[in-house]
This record gives sequence, C-alpha cells and structure tokens, in this order.
Amino acid sequence: MPAIRMAPDFALDGVRLSGLRGRPVLIAFIYTSCTRACPLLSARMARLQKKLTAARLPAVLLSITVDPEHDDAKTLARFAEAIGARPGWHFLRDEPAQLAPVLAAYDEWTHVLPSGELDHPARLHLIDGAGRVREIYSLAFFDEEQAFLDIAALEKKQGQTPFSR
Amino acid sequence: MKRALLAGLIAGIFSASLNAETCLSPYIKQKTGPEKVMYLWTLPAGAGSDYLSVIDVNLASATYGKVLKRIEVGSSGNEAHHMGFTDDRGRVWAASLNTSRFFIFDVRTDPLNPRLERTIENVPKLTGLTGPHTPYAIPGRMLITMASGPEGTGPGGVVEFTNEGEYVASHQTPNHAYEIVVKPEFNRMLVSSWVPQKMFMSPMSQWDPKQFSNSVTVWDLKARKIVQELKGDPVPLATRWALKPNASYGYSINHAGNSIWMFRRGKDGVFSYGKAADLSPGCLPGDLRQSADDRYLYVSCIGGGEVQAWDISRPDKIRLHDTVQGLVQANMMHLTLDGKRLYVTNSAISSIDFSPRYALRLIHVGPDGKMKQDPFFAIDFSQAPNGPARPHDMLLN
Repeated sequence: MPAIRMAPDFALDGVRLSGLRGRPVLIAFIYTSCTRACPLLSARMARLQKKLTAARLPAVLLSITVDPEHDDAKTLARFAEAIGARPGWHFLRDEPAQLAPVLAAYDEWTHVLPSGELDHPARLHLIDGAGRVREIYSLAFFDEEQAFLDIAALEKKQGQTPFSR
Repeated sequence: MKRALLAGLIAGIFSASLNAETCLSPYIKQKTGPEKVMYLWTLPAGAGSDYLSVIDVNLASATYGKVLKRIEVGSSGNEAHHMGFTDDRGRVWAASLNTSRFFIFDVRTDPLNPRLERTIENVPKLTGLTGPHTPYAIPGRMLITMASGPEGTGPGGVVEFTNEGEYVASHQTPNHAYEIVVKPEFNRMLVSSWVPQKMFMSPMSQWDPKQFSNSVTVWDLKARKIVQELKGDPVPLATRWALKPNASYGYSINHAGNSIWMFRRGKDGVFSYGKAADLSPGCLPGDLRQSADDRYLYVSCIGGGEVQAWDISRPDKIRLHDTVQGLVQANMMHLTLDGKRLYVTNSAISSIDFSPRYALRLIHVGPDGKMKQDPFFAIDFSQAPNGPARPHDMLLN
C-alpha cells in the first residue's frame, strides 16, 4: 500500500486526528438516517473492531457524520450503542461551518436526493501511524477482513508484530 | 470464497440491475435517472484547441441532440481521446494521447456546465510514462493506462493519481497498456494492450507489427502486481467483464487479429484466454460495449463501417445477432442507462482516420437486441462552427 497523501488534520468533538499518531486510524463518513448501505457498513465496522480487539491491534475507528443538522450528539450516541461500538470507536460531529472544511479536505460532499436521502461519496480512509493515507475503500465493496489485514500490515511495518500488545 | 461471495452480494446491492450503466468502473457512483448530458472529448481536424463538447441528450429537452457548449482546454495537438469519471462522479479526467496531459473537469458543481479545474502538464516527468489511454476510477483515485516509456517507445504501465490530481505511483507493464477492467469480488484487474505512443501517432503505413502488444495482464489489484499474462491475437483493445456479481468471464476485441477473445477465471483462480469468434473480414474492431443483462456485446468496426451486436447468452458460444451498416469509420460507442440508445462516434486517431465525415450518430436497440440507426439524429462535426473536428470518447451524466 503506497502512501497516497498526508491525511488532512482536523479536530472534531475534541478529537484531533494528529493526536492519534502512532496508531492506524480508519475514518468513515456516514449519516445515521441512511437506510441503504450505511447500516451494513457500520455492522462490518463493528465486526472489524471485534477482530482488532481480539488481536490486540490498537487501531482507532472514526465515524464522521456528513449530516450534522440531524445527527446530534444524542442521535450519534444511540446509533453507536445500537451497532455495538466499543471504546476506541468515536462518532464525531460538529457545526456545519466547522465540518465543511473537513469534508472538503477529504473530497466529501453532500447532495439531497429527491427521496430526502443524502448522496455523498461513500469512502473510508485508512491512515497509518505517521498520518499518511494508505488505503481508500469504497463503501460498496468494503470488506472488514481485508481492512483487518491492512491494519495488521501497517502495524507490522512499524516494527511491531500485530499481536504483541 | 466466502469473502468473495459476501463482497459480491454487497456489490450486487449497487450494481445488479438490468437498468444500469455499463462499461464504467464498478466503483463509480451509478446514475439513478435518465441521462441528461453527454460529454464528448473532441479534437479539431485542423488548428485550434482540443475541447469538451457538452451535448444535450435529455429526451424531454427542446434542444435534444444539440451541442450546448464547447469548453476549450487552451492548448492544441493534445489528441483528445478517452475520459473517465472519478468514483464520486464529481470529476471527468480527460487524457491526451499525444501530449500526455491530463485535463480534470469539475462536473459536480453544475453537470451542464463543466469547468476545467486543473491541467496536469508534466505527466512523463512525473510518472516516467507516456501515451495515456483510459482513466479508470478506483476509490478516491484514478488509474490511467500508459502506452509507453518516457520517449514514447518501449513498454508502458499504469499510473495512479488522487482524484484531485496528485501523483501517487507508477506500475510497469511488459506491454503497451491500453485499458483497464476491474472485478472487485476477485481482487483482479485486467489490462489490455496495443502499440507505443510514437507508433500510434504515426500513419498506419508506418506501424510495425513486430511492436504490437498481444497480451492482457492479470493483476492482484490490491498489491498492484501482475500475476498472469494472457497471450492471444495482437492488439487486444477494449476489454469487458460480465457484470453479474461474481461472473468469472469476459471478452476483449483483438484489433489486429480481427477477433473477439474470451477470458475466464478458473476455480483455482488461474485465468484461461481463447478466441471466442472471428469478426467479419475487414471489420478491424474499435470498441466493445456490453448490455447490463450480460446478453449482448456491441462491436464497432472501424474498417467495416458497421456496428455488430453479438449474443453472449451462451458465453462460450457467442454468435452474431444483428448488424447496422453505413457507419463509416465507426469507433467509440456509449450505451444509455436503459440500454435502449447506443451513441456512436467515428474518429479513431488523427494519424489513422481515413474519412473526414466526422459525426455523432445514434442507434436504437430494441428489447430483442435488434438495432436500428436513427435517420434523424446526427451531429455533423465536419461542419462544427469553429472548424471540422474529430469526436471520440463519450460519457453520459
């Protein structure tokens, strides 16, 4: 996995990306009222988190809402609980003005469809411990087994065996 | 295999539809309604800037079939050729065969008014490769096939950029890379091949068959590594993978062999590759398109001046189903979302075009796969307002 670019830094809900250096970070852009693919993605991320925990891999998962007007803190907390998110998986939002530059930096955008659903680029970004984007996944083809292998490979490259912690 | 099935199931949520766009990367956001606009990458037949033609293809519009605007790229001699959407459909990457430039258009802000967002000038210096053919979307990035090395000769490769245009990596091929097709379920990418840049920019009388590539490389997409090289008839151009989730086969048109070849992934993951059919004498295939239901292939014949529909419902025993004739120098095609309209252009490359009757034409496709040319639809590029021009690749939005 070649380094694609430096991951744009951000601080949302008190979580600063650059403050997570040293650990792989998987960022997903979601919204909780998405009915089509997002629930499936979140279920897969929950399975990924279980595998990472079992392997004692210290990756951080971030789900950033692209719909801050409807996804308030309580809604995100309920969503996190419903999908079985554990500590180490943060659900982040901010006011639209603060969120907009973060979305733009990750080439994310939103568009309201006639159905009322939000259209947005459905991607996940895997960032290594040095803050570099190392893989970008399509939501439609996201495979938590592959993401687990990728995270394990990043940890191994850092000079640690994946299961040493 | 379980993982492949799961991935296929998820992919199926997004792609298993008989009303779907074909011949695009599976990572590209699918259109949900009928097409409204066509982007046609156009080069002048004389002096002047290459340009993007923006054409009204909204059937309900009073200006259906008219060029709405021309967006010049500000430089000439680029040899406008192929284009590709980024995965989010927000940008169109347009590649130039001769100058190796990439032009990136913003088509998200206003799809009817694309804006040239960025031009990447120094591609050979950045990548070590020349002669870009087809931009192909993967998540957040574009892969572009490159025909040759830095001097326009020798083997080429595949280059990788972010959607915004930042260079990521170059991957060498043993041949002159032409076009990409990806099947995510199998983590496999196929790359077809043709001739080096210096040759395709020369008159055909100067083409040296000894330099023709004759292979399709099979890649581990994740690792960006070639795992197999499939050798067949020379110059395998457009390559299409059957669209059903987990479909293990597909086809290529082999220009210099005047034939269609079939590839198939075996249960052991090893690919086989063999001739599926000979094309009619003199066809010289230029483009290959597919129906969303994996029933038909459409082949344009640059030499034969016709478009053929092939029935592939029995994948190992394909047969000619229908033909539309009288399309001089037929080359690129694009099938609409509903599978009912096939747009056709007729310029190949400025170095080898033999007819100046440049036009965009339309073929109607019936539910039985039979085709009929629309006698009323034509955009005559030989009479374009700013001078005769050559129309090549199309995208619908």
